[in-house]
Amino acid sequence: MTAWVRRRLSNVLAVAYREGLVLRHDKGFLASVLVQPVSMLLLFGFALSYTPANVPWAVLDRSDTPASRRLIEDVRTTGYFLPPRPVYGYAQGRALLERGDALALLVIPRDFRRDVEAGRPEVQLLVDGSDPVTAARILGYVGQVAAHFDVRRTDGTDRVARTATIDPQVRFWFNATLRDRDFFMAIMAGMLLTNLCLSITALNIVGERESGTFEQTLSLPVSSLEIVLGKLLPLVGVSYALLTVAVLGAGLVFGIWPRGSWIALGIATLPFVLASMGVGVFVSSLARTTAQAVFISVFFILPSFVLSGVMFPYELMPPAIRALGFVFPLRWYQIALRRIIARGAGIEDVLGPCLALLVIFGVLLLGIRWRLKPRLA
Amino acid sequence: MSRRRIWTLVRREVRATFRDPFTVSILIAVPIVALLAFSFVISSEVHGLRLAVLDGDRSPESRRLVADIGSTGWFVPEPVGTRVEIERALQAGTLRVALVVPADFSRRLREGLAPPEVQLLYDGAEPVLAGNAEGALRGIVAASGGRLVRAPATPGGIRVATGVLFNPRLDGTPFMVAGTFGFVLSFLTTLITAVAIVGERLAGTFDQLQVTPATSLEILLGKLLPLGAIFAVDVVLMMLVAGMLFGVWPAGSALLFIAVSAFYVLVSLSLGLIFSATSATAAEAVEKTVLFSIPLVQMSGFAFPVRNMPMPVQWIAELFPATHYIRVSRGIYLRGEGPIDLFPELVALAIFGFVLLLLARRTLEARA
Repeated sequence: MTAWVRRRLSNVLAVAYREGLVLRHDKGFLASVLVQPVSMLLLFGFALSYTPANVPWAVLDRSDTPASRRLIEDVRTTGYFLPPRPVYGYAQGRALLERGDALALLVIPRDFRRDVEAGRPEVQLLVDGSDPVTAARILGYVGQVAAHFDVRRTDGTDRVARTATIDPQVRFWFNATLRDRDFFMAIMAGMLLTNLCLSITALNIVGERESGTFEQTLSLPVSSLEIVLGKLLPLVGVSYALLTVAVLGAGLVFGIWPRGSWIALGIATLPFVLASMGVGVFVSSLARTTAQAVFISVFFILPSFVLSGVMFPYELMPPAIRALGFVFPLRWYQIALRRIIARGAGIEDVLGPCLALLVIFGVLLLGIRWRLKPRLA
Repeated sequence: MSRRRIWTLVRREVRATFRDPFTVSILIAVPIVALLAFSFVISSEVHGLRLAVLDGDRSPESRRLVADIGSTGWFVPEPVGTRVEIERALQAGTLRVALVVPADFSRRLREGLAPPEVQLLYDGAEPVLAGNAEGALRGIVAASGGRLVRAPATPGGIRVATGVLFNPRLDGTPFMVAGTFGFVLSFLTTLITAVAIVGERLAGTFDQLQVTPATSLEILLGKLLPLGAIFAVDVVLMMLVAGMLFGVWPAGSALLFIAVSAFYVLVSLSLGLIFSATSATAAEAVEKTVLFSIPLVQMSGFAFPVRNMPMPVQWIAELFPATHYIRVSRGIYLRGEGPIDLFPELVALAIFGFVLLLLARRTLEARA
């Protein structure tokens, strides 16, 4: 039994050694391993965000009083808006909205000052709803400014400005300011590893089939499953290197370190890497040409980014789409990553996702075995 | 330039494309699957989200507040016994929102001196979700509080009467549908040309083309026109699927949309031609395309508004033709903009098209 295991192991290691040699000379591979972490770190760290910024807006101030100007100033100093564009008629403001030159139009009525004195001031806010996420946030920001607007400061009386009958104390855990950067940094490793594992493995076997080297390997005294495992081994090493780069990058550049156990992070990564590479090999075994392998893997990677929850929270998706996302290994890995990195979970909290990833890997292995029977015709 | 030669090349290209069942199924499946998958991923609200409730008061008032929250369907309240339970669930990532009602809630409500406090705890690790939930919950709590108080409080602050144009329910689907056109027409087109031409080069048929009397411009048009026509059909197909399945039709002129889309297809096809002409192997062409399309998804405004980026990044984003096309597509689909409103974007697209077509022709000549 031990001799059998040892022979198997040495077969796998031999294939792994050969594969490592090939990878080391692949310039495209090296470039993508080096360039991708840096570009993703920069993009997701500095550039991409759902939080509105530079929002163009227009103001139709019909009252033109200190109170109205103070309200406009209060909205502007929230930091989400550009300096407002004054308009002098309702139609002019609406035209700006319709052309997309302004996202919001604040209308302050002529008798605003009288309404303030009477204690029931009201303004109108028109918002461009075409981008619903931005629109909802703009409504929220302006609503908050208005609710906390202190009418006393203008009319001199000491009317008690009680804004709410219940005073909600709001606290956001793990990310007090709801910064999008933390959301993305937690799952950067997931995106990098998906790209790496899928694209490399998907192209690899088809490429060898096209050049005929796969059939040559089959003539060796190794089984096709041993070849596959041997091919995957060096990539596991590269994957852990990338994981380290992603975690250190987020930590050193942005100060976002994992709150939970590093060991759990290491353990949860292995089943994900295996499952992703399994997908790649399976794609490779389905495709007849390199071009087909590329198409299938690209159109697996992109939906997995969109549907897994790394870019958009999956709990906001309708049930059918949410369920569909569970077939992507990235869905489970991002759940584990967010738990460990953002929320400080330990290994016991990520056992579920790890198990799911192993199941995906097992199913794929069966599929690969079935597809990779030697085809020498 | 001979019209007969171009026609021959066009027929050849059409036949070559339709002979391969894989390409044909990609051309039909990818646009439809992309529409189905991407159209529902963005939402500005929450639905059926689990809400842990720690009711320290257990009074009719606090139960009324919880019932009000549950009645919207946005949250599903679930009683918990201790604060530790909430903290543990937030940590484990199984809970997103929690409400804590303190023991003096109903007493302070009845006395009417200081407003009673409640605590709302959110999982900030999902900022979008937490933000949506916060917006919804704040509104419900305020409304419910207004009903609970017997003597109406002195109104403070300013009331905001809101109106939402173009998309009153703040539905995410039209926004994503319009963006998906940009995604499919940028990505699929570039990838298909890149792969097809490298394939021809490997098979040697491309060199055969170059020794025929056809000029490089004719070869270019012979490639672009049929593929452009196929993708124009794809555009119509996507419009019909979006319209009939999701009820999302363009608010503006459908004809203008098809015309701009057809032109944009030529732009991305030229890009694919350039990628393939400058690569030695299929793998290299694909690498270029994929490396180029990652920023395309992330920086073109498909998912993240360009406006939210820092200024220097915005300038880079303006250099992607996709950024301008997605703006046009959303302008026509969502706001019903016409050619005059979209003029700057259309000019930008025209310039990109002109430059890229010239470049594509140059690269074809250089290989000859």
